[in-house]
Amino acid sequence: MLENFSFRSIVEYLPLFGQGLVTTVWLSALSFVGALAVGIVLCAMNLQRGWLFRAPAKAYIDAVRATPLLAQLYFLYFGLPRLGFVLPELVVGILALSLNSGAYVAEIIRAGILSIPRGQVEASVASGMTYVQRMRLVILPQAFKVTIPPLLGQAIVLVKDSALLSLISVAELTRAGQLLASDRFMPAEGFLTIAAFYLLLYYCLKGLAALSGRWLGTAGART
Amino acid sequence: MTKTGMIDFRGVNKWFGELNVLKDITLSVEPREVVVVCGPSGSGKSTLIRCVNGLEAIKDGDLVVDGQRLGNPATNMTQLRTEIGFVFQSFNLYPHKTALENVTLAPIHVRKIPRTEAEKAGRELLAKVGLADKVNAYPAQLSGGQQQRVAIARCLGMRPKIMLFDEPTSALDPEMISEVLDVMVAVAEEGMTMMVVTHEMGFARKVAQRVVFMDAGAIVESGTPDEFFSHPKTDRSRAFLSKILRH
Repeated sequence: MLENFSFRSIVEYLPLFGQGLVTTVWLSALSFVGALAVGIVLCAMNLQRGWLFRAPAKAYIDAVRATPLLAQLYFLYFGLPRLGFVLPELVVGILALSLNSGAYVAEIIRAGILSIPRGQVEASVASGMTYVQRMRLVILPQAFKVTIPPLLGQAIVLVKDSALLSLISVAELTRAGQLLASDRFMPAEGFLTIAAFYLLLYYCLKGLAALSGRWLGTAGART
Repeated sequence: MTKTGMIDFRGVNKWFGELNVLKDITLSVEPREVVVVCGPSGSGKSTLIRCVNGLEAIKDGDLVVDGQRLGNPATNMTQLRTEIGFVFQSFNLYPHKTALENVTLAPIHVRKIPRTEAEKAGRELLAKVGLADKVNAYPAQLSGGQQQRVAIARCLGMRPKIMLFDEPTSALDPEMISEVLDVMVAVAEEGMTMMVVTHEMGFARKVAQRVVFMDAGAIVESGTPDEFFSHPKTDRSRAFLSKILRH
């Protein structure tokens, strides 16, 4: 069985896999920054008392979470040009991942903020802090700590989701696997290799999560 | 104009849904006066003092604090709160800040006192509550009694005119209660205007000018500590005292 497995083809395609890996890393990183921005704005809207900001944020989050990422991606890639917005596929890809992941990030941040005990808000209110001071000095620094691990979890999901961009011909890691699979008809070699690279990225992010956990654990976060 | 106290409740009412948690409260606390509020759980005593700094809003009646009427649009609540220290049953220290940072946070950011000055004052306050050696400790590294003393220092750092205490020793182990009460006595003896929800009779007898007994949202009885503890006038206060004095 293994005699059919061509390590040599993998080695020959390594430069291509390397380029794909680099593309996956930087477009994921960029998308994650975008997702953080989208998430923070959505979360801020969602935490308002009035429905004027809250309702659209909730509707957006529900819409994103209820529909497949592939449908969202195809809408942006095939749908938007018909509506008059023509964007390069890389931009569409990063936009799709940011907008999609942002909805999840918004909920993660919201959960982090809501996990801060009521007494923290009351203590800062009682000392005469304004809303902005309370958020900046008391609530967000604490919410930040509880939010880091789930955010890194979301980053792992985002890296895997970025594989879908191969379908709009972005030359990322999965696309490299597809090329080996189709050029030489070697799907086992192609897809096993990219799986190994995704696993590598996963362990990097997981290591980062563990590192941040240890770093945050030393700052006397618990009561 | 009628003479007003530092804290003036006039016919204050408050509801939680159908529940009338404060019933027609009229009570005046003079400057430098220490008033102890006691009563069975659910009697509205915590709600009463939480109204003073606006953690709870009143429904009707007037509540005037330091000459400013609460609920009046002209009253700047954020500003007024800087004059009122509030000590919680559960301390509510900021867990991500050291003891000193807990004490200096509001002075620096709200009072706009220069950092070096605020830190100097903060160290002095922590020394005053007996925690000079815990300046750089995080709340999680402190005992309950120590945390509550930091919380009191945190309030004093704002140089407030009024201090409110909401069952400050109820969450503490018995051996830590006196260290907190000692600090409160010292604050009272410096002439602070205080409202204290507590059942600590020793504290009440030592520093309170008045004890107010509440039941079911209303003030049932009020008098000097000696009058109240030795000669309670109503059946309800007698029943209450017999319960807290049993052991």
